[in-house]
Amino acid sequence: MLEYLSQGLGIALQWENILFMFIGTILGLVFASIPGLTFSTALILMIPVTFGLDPVPAISVLLGVFAGGMSGGSISAILLGIPGTPSAAATVIDGYEMAKRGQAGRALGMAVYASVFGGIFSLLVLMLVAPQLAKVALKFGPAEIFALVIFGLSTIVSLSGTSLNKGLLAGLFGLLLTTVGLDPVMGLQRYTFGQSWLMIGIGIMPVMIGMFAFPEIIETFQRAKNNKGVSKEPTDKQVVKASFPTLKEMKSTFLLMLKSSAIGTGLGAIPGTGGPIASFLAYDQARRQNPRCGKGAIEGVGAPEAANNGVTGGAMIPLLTLGIPGDSATAIMLGAFLIHGLAPGPLLFQNYGDLVYAIFISILIIYVMVLVIQFFGIRLFVKVLDFPKVNLMIAILAMTVVGSFAINLNFGDVIIMFFAGLLGYLMKRYGFPITPLILALVLGYTIEDNFRKALVYSDGSLAIFVQSPVSLVFLILALIMLLAPLIKPLLEKRAKADKA
Amino acid sequence: MKTSKIMVIVLTVLLAITMLAGCSSTPAEKPPADQPVETTFPEKSIDLTILFGAGGAADVIGRKLADGAAEKLGKPIVANVRTGGGGAVGYQYVLGQDPDGYNIVWNSTSICVTYHQGNMPADQDFSAFRGVAKISEEASAIAVKADAPWKNLEEFVAYAKANPGKVTVANSGVGSFNHLTAAAIEDALGVQFKHIPLDSKESVTALLGGRVDAMVNMAFDAIPQVEAGEMRALAIVGTQRIDAMPDVPTMKEQGYDVDLLMWRGIAVPKDTPDEVVLKLQDAFLESANSDEFKEFAKKYSLTVAPTTGAEFDAYMAEQDKMIADLMEKIGLKKQ
Repeated sequence: MLEYLSQGLGIALQWENILFMFIGTILGLVFASIPGLTFSTALILMIPVTFGLDPVPAISVLLGVFAGGMSGGSISAILLGIPGTPSAAATVIDGYEMAKRGQAGRALGMAVYASVFGGIFSLLVLMLVAPQLAKVALKFGPAEIFALVIFGLSTIVSLSGTSLNKGLLAGLFGLLLTTVGLDPVMGLQRYTFGQSWLMIGIGIMPVMIGMFAFPEIIETFQRAKNNKGVSKEPTDKQVVKASFPTLKEMKSTFLLMLKSSAIGTGLGAIPGTGGPIASFLAYDQARRQNPRCGKGAIEGVGAPEAANNGVTGGAMIPLLTLGIPGDSATAIMLGAFLIHGLAPGPLLFQNYGDLVYAIFISILIIYVMVLVIQFFGIRLFVKVLDFPKVNLMIAILAMTVVGSFAINLNFGDVIIMFFAGLLGYLMKRYGFPITPLILALVLGYTIEDNFRKALVYSDGSLAIFVQSPVSLVFLILALIMLLAPLIKPLLEKRAKADKA
Repeated sequence: MKTSKIMVIVLTVLLAITMLAGCSSTPAEKPPADQPVETTFPEKSIDLTILFGAGGAADVIGRKLADGAAEKLGKPIVANVRTGGGGAVGYQYVLGQDPDGYNIVWNSTSICVTYHQGNMPADQDFSAFRGVAKISEEASAIAVKADAPWKNLEEFVAYAKANPGKVTVANSGVGSFNHLTAAAIEDALGVQFKHIPLDSKESVTALLGGRVDAMVNMAFDAIPQVEAGEMRALAIVGTQRIDAMPDVPTMKEQGYDVDLLMWRGIAVPKDTPDEVVLKLQDAFLESANSDEFKEFAKKYSLTVAPTTGAEFDAYMAEQDKMIADLMEKIGLKKQ
C-alpha cells in the first residue's frame, strides 16, 4: 500500500494533472452555481477533452467537475434561493433565509466548510473500507431501495413548515408529476398526449428553476411597482461579510457533520440513490438537532452540503470496486476509464494500484482547491447582492429561460419551467411549501421503478417489502416519521393526565 | 456604481456561457443559388443526435466516430444527447428537422424495437430514415455468478428445463434489446425464464448480489466481471467469439440457433439528397476504418463492421423483419 501511495503521489502531483484538476474544479463550481447548468452538463462537455489525455488527468478533470459541482450548487441556493443542482435543493431552506438576513457570507462559509468536510470524510471511507462497503451496497435490491427512498420521502413531514396537510398535498402532487412520460417497466406512454417531448417526463431541473425563481421574481416586481424606491435599492442593505464558521461553531456542529457525511457516503455507495435524497435525510437530522433550522441556521446549511459532498466519495466505491456507476456523474466517469482501457472493477486495484491511489490523492487535492477557490470566491459571490434587486431579477428571468432550454436542448422544458414557475408562485401565495413537491419529484421515479421491479421478483406479492429486514426497518422508520406529529400530542396529553 | 458595473459584466459573461452551452450550431448561411449543392455541403456544423445516456458506450463511441468524420468534412459535428423513449425522442427529433444532412442520428437496433413497441408514430419506422453507413456490431452474453452450480450452458439448460419459470434472468427491461435476446435464447433452448427487468448496470449488481440466477447483457458489461472471476459467461450471442473472452463459445457452436446482434450506424431522414448522403457516407466510413477508431472500439468490445448506406438500408429492412417476428412471438409487437 505504501508503495502504491508513493507511486500514486508521483502521478497525482504532475503539473498536467494539477492543471486539469484546477480546470475541472472551476468548471464544476461555475456550472453548478448557474441555475440550469448542472455539473452533469459540464461532465458531458469534458468527455471529448478526455479523449486526448492520459488516464489520471482525464479522470482528475472529471473528478474536479464532480466535486466542484457538488459544492458549487450551494452558491446560487444561498444567494438567489435557486438551487444550482438538485442536490442543493435542501440547502435553499436555511441558506436563503440566512442570506435574507444579511448572513449570506456566513452561510456560504458554512457550505464550503461542510462540503470539504463531507468530501474528505467520504474519501477516507473510500480508501479504508471500499470493498467491504461495496459488498453491503450489493445487498440493496429494488425492495430495499424502495423502502430507503420512502424513508427519504417521509422527511416531507419536517419540510412542510406550518401545515402538514399542505406539505403532504404538495408532495403527492410531485409524485403525480413523475408519472408523466414512459413508465419505467413496460415503457408505455402515460399522459404524453402524443407529444414526443413529454416522453422524457417532467424534468427536475426545469421545475426546480421555475418554482424557486418565479415567486421571487414576481414578488420583487410587485414590490417595485408599489414602491418606486425599491428598484434602486441594493438587494441587501447590510454589509455582507464573508466568514468561515468559528472554532466554536465547528465544535458544536462536528457530530452533525460526521453524521451527515456518513449518510451521504452511504447513500452514494448504493447505486440508484444519490445526492438529493442524502441531502434531505441529512437536513432532517439537522432539524431534529436544532429547532431553529428552517429559519436560517448554519446547521441547516451544513448538513445537506456535507451529505451531498459525501456522495462524491461514496459514489466512487461501487464504480472503482465493482465497475458499477451509481449515478449519471459516475456513469460518465466510467466512460473516461474505459476510453483509456482501464476497466474499473475488482481487478483495477490489483493491476493499477498506483493509478487508484493517484485518484485518491487527486480527490484530496481537489477538495483543497475547492476550499481555496471558494474562500476567495465568497468575497466575489456576495457582491451579487449589491446589485439592485430588480435588475438582478431581470437577469435571473433571462437565465431561467436559457438555462431550462440548455438542459436537454428541448423547448418543452422551457414550457414546463414557465408552468412550474406560475404554480410555484400560486403555491407560495396560498401557503403551500415548495420543497416537498421538489423532493417528491426527485424521488418519485426511483420509488415507482423499484416498487414495480420488486414486485416482478415476488410475482406481485407485497410480502417482499417486509420479508427483507433492511426494507422492513426503513419502512417502520418512515411510518414513525409520518405518525410522530399525530402521536406526540397524544402522548404529551397522557403524560399530563398521569401527573394530575 | 462601480460594483454594479462589475456585476453587469459578470452576469453578461455568465449568461454568455449559458447561451453557448445552449446553442450547439451556428446559424445557417444560405448557399449561393448558382452553386450546386454537392460541392458546398457541409457549410456549417452538423448536429449528431445520440439516443442514449451521456458517458455510456453509445455516447462515447458516437462522439469518437464523429470526431474522425468531422475532420474529413472540414466542419464540426456536434454530438447532442437526446434520450428518452428507448430512442424514440431522438429519432422523432431528427425526423422533425429539414432533410438536408445537417441533422443526423447515431442509429441502432433501437429503431426497430422502439417502433414495433409502439413508441413511434405509425409512419415512422426504420424506412423513414436512410442509411448513411453501418458502423459496428456488438455481441451479447449470458452469464451466471462465478459460484453458481452450472459450469456450462448444457447444465444451465438442464436445470432450467427441470424448473420452468423458476430461473430468474435479468435483462434490460421489457422491449429492450437484451430482453429480445433473452426471449430468443428462451425460444431456442426450449425453456422458460422468469424475466427481471433491470437496466444493464442493475443487472450486474443483481447478479453479483445474488438476487438473480443469470443475466443477459451486452458482452461488454460482463467482460470485467468475468476477468475478475466474479462471473462466468455461458455463451456469446453473436456470429463469432469475442477477443476479450476467447474461451466462451457462441450459442451457435453449442447447437442453438440464436443470432441477434446489436448494430449501430449513421442515418438521416429519408428525403436527404443523394450527394449529401454520399459525402457523409465517405466521411463516416473513413472515420470508422481508421486505426484510431478501431483501437478505440476495441476497448468497448465493439466489432467495426462498416458497410455503405445502400447496404445499410437493405440490412435494416432485413433486421426489422426479424425483430418484428421475434417481438410478435413474445407478444411485444404493437405495430
